[in-house]
Amino acid sequence: MLAMLLRRFALGAITVWIVSVIIFVGVEMLPGDACTAFLEREAKGRILENCREDLGLNRPAIARYSEWAANAVRGDLGVSANGQKQISELVGYRLRNTLLLASGAMLAGIPLALFLGIVAALWRDRPADIIVSTTAIAAMTIPEFVSATLLILIFSVWLGWVPGIVLTSADAPLADFFPEVLLPIGVLTLVMTAHILRTVRSSVIETLASDYSQMALLKGVPYWQIVFRHILPNALLPTINVVALTIAWLLGGVVVIETVFNYPGLGRMMIDSISDRDLPVTQAIALIIASVYVGVNLLADLLTMIANPRLRTMHMRRK
Amino acid sequence: MRNTVAVVSALALSASLAWAEPSGVFRQAHEVGSGSGSTLDPISKGRVFQITEKIMSRLVRPDMDGRPSPDLALSWSANEDATEWTFELREGVTFHDGSSFGSEDVVYSLERVLDPETDSPARSAIAMISKVEASDEDTVKLTLESSFADLPLLLMDYRLRMIPEGAGDTIATTGIGTGPFRLVSFDAEGTTRLEANMDYYDGPPGVAEMEIIGITDGQARLQALLGGQIDMERGITAQQSVMLEGSDRFDIQTIPTGNWRGLVFRTDVAPFDDPCVRMALRLAADRQGMVDLVMGGGAVIACDSPVGPGDQYRAEIDCPQDIERARALLAEAGYPDGLEIDLHVATLEPTWPILAEVYQEQAAAAGIRVNIVQVPSDGFWNEVWMQKDAVTTRWNERPADQALNEIYLSTAKWNESYYKDAAFDALLAQARQELDFDARRALYVQAQEHLWETAGTLIPYHVTRLVGTTARVGGLDAVENNAVRWHRVTVD
Repeated sequence: MLAMLLRRFALGAITVWIVSVIIFVGVEMLPGDACTAFLEREAKGRILENCREDLGLNRPAIARYSEWAANAVRGDLGVSANGQKQISELVGYRLRNTLLLASGAMLAGIPLALFLGIVAALWRDRPADIIVSTTAIAAMTIPEFVSATLLILIFSVWLGWVPGIVLTSADAPLADFFPEVLLPIGVLTLVMTAHILRTVRSSVIETLASDYSQMALLKGVPYWQIVFRHILPNALLPTINVVALTIAWLLGGVVVIETVFNYPGLGRMMIDSISDRDLPVTQAIALIIASVYVGVNLLADLLTMIANPRLRTMHMRRK
Repeated sequence: MRNTVAVVSALALSASLAWAEPSGVFRQAHEVGSGSGSTLDPISKGRVFQITEKIMSRLVRPDMDGRPSPDLALSWSANEDATEWTFELREGVTFHDGSSFGSEDVVYSLERVLDPETDSPARSAIAMISKVEASDEDTVKLTLESSFADLPLLLMDYRLRMIPEGAGDTIATTGIGTGPFRLVSFDAEGTTRLEANMDYYDGPPGVAEMEIIGITDGQARLQALLGGQIDMERGITAQQSVMLEGSDRFDIQTIPTGNWRGLVFRTDVAPFDDPCVRMALRLAADRQGMVDLVMGGGAVIACDSPVGPGDQYRAEIDCPQDIERARALLAEAGYPDGLEIDLHVATLEPTWPILAEVYQEQAAAAGIRVNIVQVPSDGFWNEVWMQKDAVTTRWNERPADQALNEIYLSTAKWNESYYKDAAFDALLAQARQELDFDARRALYVQAQEHLWETAGTLIPYHVTRLVGTTARVGGLDAVENNAVRWHRVTVD
């Protein structure tokens, strides 16, 4: 078990490193650099030279990457393009804000999704299921920017209950984000709930049809006892991975929602830094997002393994 | 009698403004055009205009008609051939840090713009200044390379703002100026806070605090205005204005500007090196159709002249679509069966793709087959513009002399159409030397007419700006951005 954990961890570190190389090469291959992106049509002559010198863009790409990597290993992510702030500090605030958004959506969304998914499955093809499933499909298929704009129109412009656009600065105390953060959380909850509840629903239905459920039913075990003792524990296992992927998606920054609401999170910063060709910031965010993906998936596999004895023993036997 | 009344009421108004205590918070968004490169240095590419316009002053500012009027310079005069200019400065003005403003600061600020090492984008606007000297504490003398009667016009440039002597290395974050508002905190991507400068030379501002908030997405800025979270948005499109019209919660100002969008054909490569082909390309355009379809009517027709509708040197040219003549010109140039061109378009400017499609339709009638080539917005200015033979372009308003010299002169840095015409160059040089206004105007008009005959650039219109505000905003001048008097703005 421990050996497996270590192996997975090492693989994860290698994945993160590969991602950093891919991102670096990718941004290098885009037309132009940080200076031409900044100066636009004025990128000529002396002013361009000055800019490239300031940002150290005159050196070969390999040298810049290895210097960045050496510093990153030591935890130094460099300074921002205008040289004013530490990138770790800038990205830190954005990460915190994205965490706020993600945890809000998870707290509201995961219980809701589990509840609705189980209800829909147990009352399959009845009105409750039809309502829940149709709403879920609608929530999944309507693009986020449409549902976001609709919610802003209804709750902010018409009703005036909550502010529509987030105007709070990235480094403001967390409390300042209320109530502005409520609408983005609402939109995220809508989308992620739909995804998770559909998995929950099909998983519960599948388990309901399994031999052991049928057996228990024929033996005369009370219905609710079957549901709680046999069906739910088995049915919810596969959903752990879906939940993990959703969490990773949330933490990776939800670019569209952050842009529509002007929310100062990781996703928007990533897009901005790519269009600015701001490699240090892009790299820092890529590192964080890759680590989150690797970490959360590792955690999910671990949980599944703990919850499912068969997977554990299978692994032992293979050894 | 009417004059006396006007003067008395004007005095009463200014007196009441001077006594009223600044109150309220005015909120406005900016688009964070330069991202993390944003700065308060007025002459850097990353300047955030929506902030610098409120905290810093120029020597000369536009009045409500766009003519030069005193800002930090009270009066100016030139020697006979307009090669030496003397500016008398306003006395008793202080910077936000308490230091007093004087001629040394002007010398420092202007020399900083002219420094070839810095190579500021603003440099080309005043490159004809060869020497800046302080005659005494309140007088500055500018020496020019050659005669130029319209120097004050160029000093109104939105970037030429005065900063304290020696502040060049720190101005990017301190933002110390002499404007009606002073910087409290600067955060381009978040919220920048300003407070009223009680020592402003024209009296204390009407608003106590300003918040300039970075919102990248245009749709989000509109939502913020609709929700009353911001008080003003300058980038309303004709399509969006429907949401503000007819509501008593919002006001819309309609302001003609000199900003233009257009299509550029490189005059140094075939087939565009033939003036007949260029004329045909431009005659094929139905400009009113473009204004209606692309801008929803929110633009003023231009006849390929960059000089805006509010400019005193604008030439009045008539340029209706003429398909017959376009066909005849193409035949004359050796294309009796029409012409096929590749037009490179990005979505960098949202109206470009629509403009290109409308032109494609219109030009087809003259036998010009336009292939629209979609290119990425990223790197457009460096990989496509001035590289490909036919591209889209956009420019912000600049005075006639500057627009013609910076973009069409054969030696210009931004000569996007590679336009080289000795006669045109001569006209511009002559206009600069000419000291008589009417004669000078005639020369600029002639230069624009010359462009209409020969240019490689199709400029169908100048954009009309829609400024949306919440109804609680008062005293906002309905003029070009450059001329707004921010200290007169109030909020209820």
